[in-house]
Amino acid sequence: MEPLLQHLERFSEVLAVSRTTHVSTWDPVTVRRALQWARYLRHIHKRFGRHACISKALERRLQNQWKQQGDSGPAPAPGLANFQALGLCDQLLSLRLLANPALGDASFHYLLQQLFPGPGVPDAEEESLQGSLARLARRRAAIHMLRFNAYGENPVLQEDSLMKTQAELLLRRLQEVGEAEAGGPGRLLSSLWERSPQNNFLKVVAAALLLPPSSPRHQEEELKLGSPKTPGEEGQELLRWLLGKSDVMVAFCRSLPAGLLTLVAGRHPELSRVYLGLLTDWGRQLHYSLQKGLWIGTESQDVPWEELLSRFQSLCQAPPPLKDEVFTALKSCKAQDGDFEVPGLSIWTDLLLSLGSSA
Amino acid sequence: MAQDSVGLPSDFQFWMHKLSVWDQASTLETQQDTCLHLPQFQEFLRQLYEALKEMDSSAIIERFPTVGQLLAKTCWNPFILAYDESQKILIWCLCCLIKKDPQNSGESKLNSWTRGLLSHILSTFRFNIKEVDLFTQVLGYAPTDYYPGLLKNMVLSLVSELRQNHLNGFNTQRRMAPERVRSLSRVCVPLVTLPDFEPLVEALLTYHGHEPQEVLWPEFCDAVNEAFLLKKISLPASAILCLWLRHLPSLENTMLHLFEKLISSERNFLRRIECFMKDSLLLKFAFKTYFPYASPSLVMVLLQHPKDIPRGLWHQALKHISEMLKEVVEDQTHGSYGGPFESWFLFVHFGGWADMAAEQLLTSEAEAEAPEALLWLLAFSCGPGAGHQQRAQTMVEVKAVLRCLTKLLRSPALSARDLQAAAGEGGQGAPRPPACQQLIRRLVLSFLLRAPGGHAIAREVITLMAQTDAIMHEIIGFLDQTLYRWDHLCVEAPRSRKLARELLAELRGQA
Repeated sequence: MEPLLQHLERFSEVLAVSRTTHVSTWDPVTVRRALQWARYLRHIHKRFGRHACISKALERRLQNQWKQQGDSGPAPAPGLANFQALGLCDQLLSLRLLANPALGDASFHYLLQQLFPGPGVPDAEEESLQGSLARLARRRAAIHMLRFNAYGENPVLQEDSLMKTQAELLLRRLQEVGEAEAGGPGRLLSSLWERSPQNNFLKVVAAALLLPPSSPRHQEEELKLGSPKTPGEEGQELLRWLLGKSDVMVAFCRSLPAGLLTLVAGRHPELSRVYLGLLTDWGRQLHYSLQKGLWIGTESQDVPWEELLSRFQSLCQAPPPLKDEVFTALKSCKAQDGDFEVPGLSIWTDLLLSLGSSA
Repeated sequence: MAQDSVGLPSDFQFWMHKLSVWDQASTLETQQDTCLHLPQFQEFLRQLYEALKEMDSSAIIERFPTVGQLLAKTCWNPFILAYDESQKILIWCLCCLIKKDPQNSGESKLNSWTRGLLSHILSTFRFNIKEVDLFTQVLGYAPTDYYPGLLKNMVLSLVSELRQNHLNGFNTQRRMAPERVRSLSRVCVPLVTLPDFEPLVEALLTYHGHEPQEVLWPEFCDAVNEAFLLKKISLPASAILCLWLRHLPSLENTMLHLFEKLISSERNFLRRIECFMKDSLLLKFAFKTYFPYASPSLVMVLLQHPKDIPRGLWHQALKHISEMLKEVVEDQTHGSYGGPFESWFLFVHFGGWADMAAEQLLTSEAEAEAPEALLWLLAFSCGPGAGHQQRAQTMVEVKAVLRCLTKLLRSPALSARDLQAAAGEGGQGAPRPPACQQLIRRLVLSFLLRAPGGHAIAREVITLMAQTDAIMHEIIGFLDQTLYRWDHLCVEAPRSRKLARELLAELRGQA
């Protein structure tokens, strides 16, 4: 068992190096060894995939490695995050080497001979690396064709395939990181918030929170090996993080479209409470201008009346209990203000008036 | 192989020219032309590879100085990369260009240029949306990690858009424009053998919109049929049958293929022949009559087996069929559909829709007024050539009969005389056209089989009705058909069935 685990560790290192300029020192023999190791591990994956004790031990060792890298934040391209990844480790290594310009010509030449031996290869198409790499190339072309010829961005954001894919990747990564250690997901999310385009990130979070709970996020050939976490927990982790970060939450509620937020609020009651709280806070910032006959803010970051109204309108079209909660909140605010029926005195009165008879 | 490479230089020129014209295959014409040439180009690539692998890279440059250009142009044509094994053969060709130990900067440059192309085919992926690229990068995923998942989501999204049309007939907001469906079918031509695309291929084959012309690209149908015959795609039988109904050449090719196999395989192996026949699905197909001139969308709708439609939706399905037929029949511009008669023939031969409409009318007590769409269907079924006036008259008469029958259903005691009155027989008013009378007889008989008091008076009613031998034969035929249809649809109606069976046996004995 121990030799196998050491093997795994050494290969992880090799995989990490394969992306760096260090491969310039690799000669064909090194390349051969790396490929052999990858093939061996893939064979292990195939043979012991159903043996819980072996696969668990391997996974634990991988997670330990994660922990060691944990201090530097979520490492870019960790490579082997879990046992499932072993099934594709030779593909992963090959692709990295193929794309690495630092690999010497002789080594590259050798690599090509190994990866693409040509026709008349005896092993079945599905098994061979040549076949799987060709299939990858084909799929890449397929996406390109769909994208540029027949594809439309789905107006329903959470059904848009790009959004959905990013959301699935996010949850997948959260799960991988979560299995390695407890604080992982939170750190990852904070890091994402700081380092990736924020608007896109917020949309992805919304899409992730709207993914169906039992969505299969892994490919069919992967085996779920009694992971301690239940599927759907990553969504909870995400929600917890979001609710705990007030600046992100504010950005989330301000920049995403009203309809989308309503859906998310409908799905996650804890979020709807915070959202309502924010909306009422924003409402309190506005005052009535007699000259203009409008509710306006004083600061530039105040949420304008129209936006506030449109968000409430959307919430009021949601199915109960959300719809009822919203009306209750509005009515209670109106009562606090003095329960006026005349417009211009309390923003809550005016909002309720504008929302119409659906009260 | 020496003889192949003789023709290679001239082929080379030909393909070089083609690739230049096709460029990235972004227009309708270039896509069309590329698709037409995909198999031949793949064959050329294969031959090229066979020639290249015998030479070292310097010899290659001498012999084919523009080979780099040709291969590069190929890399930029996604239709070629998406087809069958072309991407693999292309990679093999590129591998031949890589020099193990470049002697000078020129050779080094060629190496890194070739490596760039290989990267392009395999791993470089730009969706051209910066935010997405950045996000996934920060998350730690390379494009190669996520594009199988992305492809799956794209296919799912497209399938659900196509299916939207199917279920929500007139929900115009989510409908995919016909031009986009066409474009999609064109894009699928090189990709029908990719397993990820099977759901999309199936959705396209079973898609039926409201356009009179076929939306699917004919080369798409050819490609699917070819893939199916070579067992490179697995589709449910219903999808294949849709293919054959929409695209006659596919059916022809399948039959030819079958004959070829039968002729070439050893005649003594009957079991093998049997397998071919079963595999080919043609037996199933033989039960459905083929109408090459019918509106494809109408055919699709009528082809649905009523059993596949949930009972609660039968009414909606019938309404839809009624609307489609009405459009075909009353709109004179669709002259190519052989007029009302073709549509009538189709309607009458598929699925027992007319009988279903009759039953729906009899059982929908919740509706105060019989729905016009169903009445129209019945009127049409008994008189396809009738003019607008005549049909309207028939509908009025049927409505009146239905009203009487509904009233009778509530009366405590049912008598044969009541039914006869309801059927309007006994010479009241002007005699109806015979087809209309026949329709009314069928309605009354249907009613008889289902009404609680029907059992007691059935024989008396039939005696009163069957004034001639011809009518008696008609009644026997109706009972037979009804039983057959109930069996096929697994209709639960034990009392009605028993009655029908008894009556049938008795009448057959008498006749």
